[in-house]
Amino acid sequence: MMLRTTQPTVLPVQHIDFVKPHIFDVTEEVRLLWMKDVPNDTVRLDLFFDAGIIRGDKSIPAIVHSLLFSGTADKSSVEIHESIDALGGFLDTDLSFETAVVSIYCLRENIDRIAILVGEAINGLSFRESEVEDTLRSMGQKFRENQQKVRNVGQQQFRKLLFESHSDYSTLAEASDFEEGNYAAMKHYFKDHYLHGLTRITLVGNVEQDSVDALIDLFGKWAVDRIPAFGKSFETVQKRHHFPVEGAVQTAIRMGKILFPKQHPDYIGFQFLNTILGDYFGSRLMSNIREDKGYTYGIGSVIMELQNDGYFVIVTEVGKDVTEATLTEIQFELRRLQEELVSDEELELVRNYMLGQLLKSADGPYAMLDMYNSVDMHGMDLGFYDRAIAEIRAMQAPRLQELAKTYLNWEDFLIVTAG
Amino acid sequence: MIAFNRFKLDNGLTVIHHLDPTTPIAVVNVLYDVGARDETEDRTGFAHLFEHLMFGGSVNIPDFDAPLQFAGGESNAFTSNDITNYYDTLPVQNIETALWLESDRMLSLAFTPKSLEVQRNVVIEEFKQRYLNQPYGDVWLELRPLAYREHPYKWATIGKEIKHIEEAEMEDVKAFFKAHYHPANAILCIAGNISLERTTELVNKWFGDIPASLKPERMLPREPQQKEYREKTIERAVPNDAFYYAFKMPERRSFEYYVADIISDALGREKSSRLYGKLKKELKLVTSINAYITGSMDEGLLVIDGKLSDGVTFEQLETALWETLDELNAHPLSESEAARLLIKIRTVKEFQEQGLLNRAMNLCIYELLGDANGVNEENALYQSVTAKHIQELGKTMLRRENCSVLRVKAIQA
Repeated sequence: MMLRTTQPTVLPVQHIDFVKPHIFDVTEEVRLLWMKDVPNDTVRLDLFFDAGIIRGDKSIPAIVHSLLFSGTADKSSVEIHESIDALGGFLDTDLSFETAVVSIYCLRENIDRIAILVGEAINGLSFRESEVEDTLRSMGQKFRENQQKVRNVGQQQFRKLLFESHSDYSTLAEASDFEEGNYAAMKHYFKDHYLHGLTRITLVGNVEQDSVDALIDLFGKWAVDRIPAFGKSFETVQKRHHFPVEGAVQTAIRMGKILFPKQHPDYIGFQFLNTILGDYFGSRLMSNIREDKGYTYGIGSVIMELQNDGYFVIVTEVGKDVTEATLTEIQFELRRLQEELVSDEELELVRNYMLGQLLKSADGPYAMLDMYNSVDMHGMDLGFYDRAIAEIRAMQAPRLQELAKTYLNWEDFLIVTAG
Repeated sequence: MIAFNRFKLDNGLTVIHHLDPTTPIAVVNVLYDVGARDETEDRTGFAHLFEHLMFGGSVNIPDFDAPLQFAGGESNAFTSNDITNYYDTLPVQNIETALWLESDRMLSLAFTPKSLEVQRNVVIEEFKQRYLNQPYGDVWLELRPLAYREHPYKWATIGKEIKHIEEAEMEDVKAFFKAHYHPANAILCIAGNISLERTTELVNKWFGDIPASLKPERMLPREPQQKEYREKTIERAVPNDAFYYAFKMPERRSFEYYVADIISDALGREKSSRLYGKLKKELKLVTSINAYITGSMDEGLLVIDGKLSDGVTFEQLETALWETLDELNAHPLSESEAARLLIKIRTVKEFQEQGLLNRAMNLCIYELLGDANGVNEENALYQSVTAKHIQELGKTMLRRENCSVLRVKAIQA
């Protein structure tokens, strides 16, 4: 007999298959990770460079990153894109704090030829004047546009203040960065951080070993010749700042603090705590601030990983008139985690949810490669996930309370509002 | 090739089963044949507000998300002008929880006043966040009524104005549910490592006893043929002048829909496209330019949008843009250009089909169009488009009398 009021039996996730990619040493410092078992013709190739935002000032890292396919002595940017498009290739580039990534998506029959075209485009990058001007124009406009978005202003200022103890990590873009091209600085940066800046290659695709060897030959010559150094032990002077944005009808809130690197013994436990607080739809912040009060379309918290450190941030945009009320509720939720034990029901729910999400994160070669990469970059291996499963299964309420008392003190937070 | 089985329950629910033995995750996708086009003009934004309410508890289950999360899964949904689509992903051994939840909210909602009140606020914040608190955020609120005079595509999914959402009453919610949320108006897809037998058994168990209702007949006003060039300029405190050229294009079920899609690719999808090469790289009139289609079921829009370079006027753009469009009509596609567009379509298709959720959604959408198997025929349709097709459609579509232009003039705040 079926009972609509009773949930069907739920079976916890018992086992997750983690697959290790094939690993090749390109040089002593640089590896290629290859996930070969792909049941279709798709291929993704990612090239990682030591060319993140922290590696330069006056927006040089962003400008050079945008110019990577802007033309060589023989080919204009349009010709480069035509030749890659003609092979069905998609280029994607991503610039983050500590890394720049160039990605190619294509069918396996075309990867060899597309890789050669990408190699030629970057190797021969010639900083054509008209292309540089065009790029600076677009970036300058985009910059001005972003200055009107509370989300953007909040995020930029939050980062600047959070990392103010380390100047490389706290530079901010300015409108003047995009007014005129500093060719000498761009060329110099490009040479150091791209032509001698490759830190890692990842590949997903059922390609031949010959293709992999060719990729190593082709891109290996860009390998870094030193192990890049990254910031650590950041210190934040706790404070509250407001940045006005004219005409805004919402306020962006970014509040957070420096935490610890991924290798830290509290990492997985804190991830559990973070999930309860703000990292899924049923989280306490969402339940309270969106689903009970209706102050926002969304609120969340997240652990951001850096190479040698990490930080924790709560992110939301709320109605202008409820900014203070939202902060009060956030404070209430932090304190509640410190003062009350999490109920068994919530504990079991989050435990099952996290295991289900872990299962999903390991599903398929693309997801699995990303998962492996994210531990390999920190010098760890799949053992990390076995430990994660064990810790998630064993998690108890008192441990969560202890973590909350250690890491979620209201007084320790940097609070930035924009709007 | 996406293999699938299809069956129908007595109450009218269409069910699609797609077996994928390679994944431990299952997808349950429920498409309801209702979107913003089914709203009345004085009650817009309702289909989308309703999507939010579908997570506020059903007749026998107080909370939708918690049991799903307890089963290791998660859920989300989206509303368009045409459809409302709900999806759940979870470990396959717990798929029954998703069917239990989806069937209960198809049976009936809890209709609590609290849920309505809160979700009204959440949607109003969404309205602000996406449409008001962004530079250029409100252009679709302006462009739609310019391009459409009669058809309900003239309002956006979020609604014409915040007031409509503020005024939504419980009675409206109940009437909307009764009309649109029942088996005959839904398509359910079960995808994952689960047999057809087990799927049939579970679907019958949970959905079989939901009472049948008649599928509502859709009688939308037909958009009269546009006969004049429509232009509108609005002033906003944005950093740069922006433009939006919207052309009426063929409806989703026609072959010409695919032709129009390829035309938009040729014009402005990639950095090798015509508008990008001409207007941005050669003439330097714009800092960005794109062309795309709305993908609508009824007569949709092909849109060209972009931002002007500093010091360039709308008139300069106007001349150069129409020259490029006329050029496409005169010289439709070279062989290499066509080959480039078609291999990109094929590549995208391969990537899309990798994801189980994508497969489940596409099966439902094609079933709504008439046959789920359309998902397997789509690529061949694209590949069959010729230069002649492009030229024929281009000549009727890319004309001033078929175009609505919205210009956003930047002013100081």
